[in-house]
Amino acid sequence: MKAFVDKAGLKTQEFSFTIERGKIKEFVQAIGDRNPIYHELTAALEQGYEDIPIPPTFATVIEMWAGLDFEKLIELLQLNPLNVLHGEQEYEYMKTICAGEVISGQMEVVKHVQKGNMDFFKLETVFRNSTGLIAMISRSTVIERH
Amino acid sequence: MKKELPAIIKTPLTHSQLVKYAGASGDFNPIHTVVPVAQEAGLKDCIAHGMLIMGMAGEAICTWFPRESLRKFQVRFQKMTFPGEKLSISGRILGEETVEKETYLLGEVAAINDEGEMKLKGTFRVKKEE
Repeated sequence: MKAFVDKAGLKTQEFSFTIERGKIKEFVQAIGDRNPIYHELTAALEQGYEDIPIPPTFATVIEMWAGLDFEKLIELLQLNPLNVLHGEQEYEYMKTICAGEVISGQMEVVKHVQKGNMDFFKLETVFRNSTGLIAMISRSTVIERH
Repeated sequence: MKKELPAIIKTPLTHSQLVKYAGASGDFNPIHTVVPVAQEAGLKDCIAHGMLIMGMAGEAICTWFPRESLRKFQVRFQKMTFPGEKLSISGRILGEETVEKETYLLGEVAAINDEGEMKLKGTFRVKKEE
């Protein structure tokens, strides 16, 4: 068993990311999501969005590309990358984020427990728009087997 | 009140799709793209990013309801998904609830392969249309 050092309370630095139409298109193409609101500005505007909206799981792009990629997470939590699993993921949406917005965020380790031969980390990232309003919250459970 | 939603059928996963998703999402964990690394971790092949499968579930939800209506989306990753697997995303409405004069529909979503193996199971909440 790995010695337990509680990582709860650890925080990343605040990061910032500009939402771009091209990045949204690349992301939905990888998923195979053909919803026109992500591909055509006219379709998005017709449906009442201010610009191309982000798809529901786009927060992962903001985190990974704005500073909290897999390698940083491994370093922060001191994990063996070969033994890491993503157990659960949850998003709460307060305001739809569209291309052109600048979104800032910060990730915090809110809980860390060890059960048997596994460590469970609960991570929370709060995303704010440029006016400081909370637009979205991401909560994930990362598991390390050892 | 319970109501089945029309399932969406995805094309079989490919290694190229995992490479594309890695680039798009910024998750370059080599277990998803480099076969020898996956084998070092004791796997027969690369595994799909769990978030890619959640992305497909999100795609399905936004074919059932407007993107704008989605308020909460939660999943639990159940099994690994390998290239070659073909997934279908199914869902249903379980009920509704009213909080501070707003009515929400509560639903569940699942990603299942051709053999009936469940890869992901989750719940969502959408604002009910007037």
